Amino acid sequence: MAEFIAYLIAGLATGAIYALAAIGFTLVWQTSQTINFAQGEFVMLPAILILALVKLAGAPFWLAAVLGVALFIALFGWGFKITIVDPMIRHGVLPLAIATMALAIIMKEGAKDGFSAEAQSFPSLLPAQTLSFMGISISLQHIAIIVVACVAIGGLQWFVTRTRTGRQMQAAAQNPGVALILGIPVARMVMLTFLINAGLAALASVLISPIYLAKFSNGEVIGLFAFIAAIVGGFNQVRGALAGGLIVGVIDSLAAAYVSTSYRLAVPLVLLVIIILVKPEGLFGRKEERRV
Amino acid sequence: MSDTILELENVVGGYGRITILNGASFKVKRGAITTVIGPNGAGKSTVFKAIFGLLNLSSGTIRYDGRDITRWPPRKLLEAGIVYVPQGRNIFPELSVRHNLEFGAVAAGPHITDMEARIEAALDRFPALRQKADVQASTLSGGQQKQLEIMRGLLLDPKLILIDEPSIGLSPLMVQETFGILKELRNKGVTILMVEQNARSALEISDEGLVLETGRARLQGPARDILNDPRVAQLFLGGAMAEAS
Repeated sequence: MAEFIAYLIAGLATGAIYALAAIGFTLVWQTSQTINFAQGEFVMLPAILILALVKLAGAPFWLAAVLGVALFIALFGWGFKITIVDPMIRHGVLPLAIATMALAIIMKEGAKDGFSAEAQSFPSLLPAQTLSFMGISISLQHIAIIVVACVAIGGLQWFVTRTRTGRQMQAAAQNPGVALILGIPVARMVMLTFLINAGLAALASVLISPIYLAKFSNGEVIGLFAFIAAIVGGFNQVRGALAGGLIVGVIDSLAAAYVSTSYRLAVPLVLLVIIILVKPEGLFGRKEERRV
Repeated sequence: MSDTILELENVVGGYGRITILNGASFKVKRGAITTVIGPNGAGKSTVFKAIFGLLNLSSGTIRYDGRDITRWPPRKLLEAGIVYVPQGRNIFPELSVRHNLEFGAVAAGPHITDMEARIEAALDRFPALRQKADVQASTLSGGQQKQLEIMRGLLLDPKLILIDEPSIGLSPLMVQETFGILKELRNKGVTILMVEQNARSALEISDEGLVLETGRARLQGPARDILNDPRVAQLFLGGAMAEAS
């Protein structure tokens, strides 16, 4: 039982990371029909950028972290939107999705060639300590990830539902045509979701890298699991992406412990297949409705 | 103050390569209800899109209160006192009634001080909206949703309302109620330009009528005259209108 709870908490921690990535994924999908297949690389790169600033420019870690995150949001929030999304979406959802696949490869290989092919240790804000509680050992870092991710997601949910700007963002996502005739700055709201997506990815990167180390290939699994989390959750709902992320994280952790470490990657995919067969709109999704 | 609030002069435009408006010219009388009628494809809804900056115009001029507003974006038109209530359902079903109303004040910017009071006043106007103020707007009936949309448009006290097919999908009782709101607004000095498929009942509450055919204004005059014009009857029976003298 103690072992089970420890795996559960570890699963919730990685699940929180998948949730951060999946929420960003659904946000940009909702506002601009962007299916970002580079989402995993978006989580991989910020940690590498920060380490590069420390190692190559000799910046202290805190400064490198601030600059690295800011640089990442500028390049992969604003820059991604204007150089890849805007020109490609005119040709349809699929060409844009394929462009993001190309971007993923470029980011991954770029991180390998430009920085390092080896996994690099990444400083943690908390010591790598474990707490023992009633015979259960729990990693302090796992707890910290869950808490920070929950605060970030709660803050985002508060912004989206409780502020005028957040509601305008929802309006721009749900019905851009109507939003426009109400005078809502739709283009600015769409850009805002791209900045939020980059911010969430950067947060996920800083949280996960102390545990998994910073490596160019980290995005592969994170991207796949975030995508599954978004679909399981319903693809168009923040709370769906959150639930999807946590479910995928827990299932992955338990599968690694009780099924097989070599087959663990397949288990969330099986979950995806089951969801698509049984509840294609996802756990929290609406059936797509189109009115003329 | 001029008697004309809005004037279109030789407006040409459409979607992509398809031209819908072929030199539409007409004037809209201040403080009146003007109903635009015409066969399908005449460009009735397109005229509204042209006025509201949502259409590619290749030529022509649109003047509002003496100012040239051709190709102004929606935000600027809202600030100038024009609102557009398009056809169909244009609310955000997952947001509350109150938050839907709030969008009517977007053009006033973040510094509007009396927004709460304006929203309360709008809710007071309709018991059904008041009752559901804090629940999802999807729980309103079709007619109530249309009323919500109209109240949203009225939040900043517009001078000119462009309303497209307000009666579509509504019960006869709701149609009468909606037309009642429009008459009330007119009596307060608001100008209304309306497109209606339900031509007869719309013209009955209107001051002015305008017949649009193949993207041009073919006939304009007092609503009663338009209603009794034999050429209009012929037009609605499907035949082309005889050349208006």
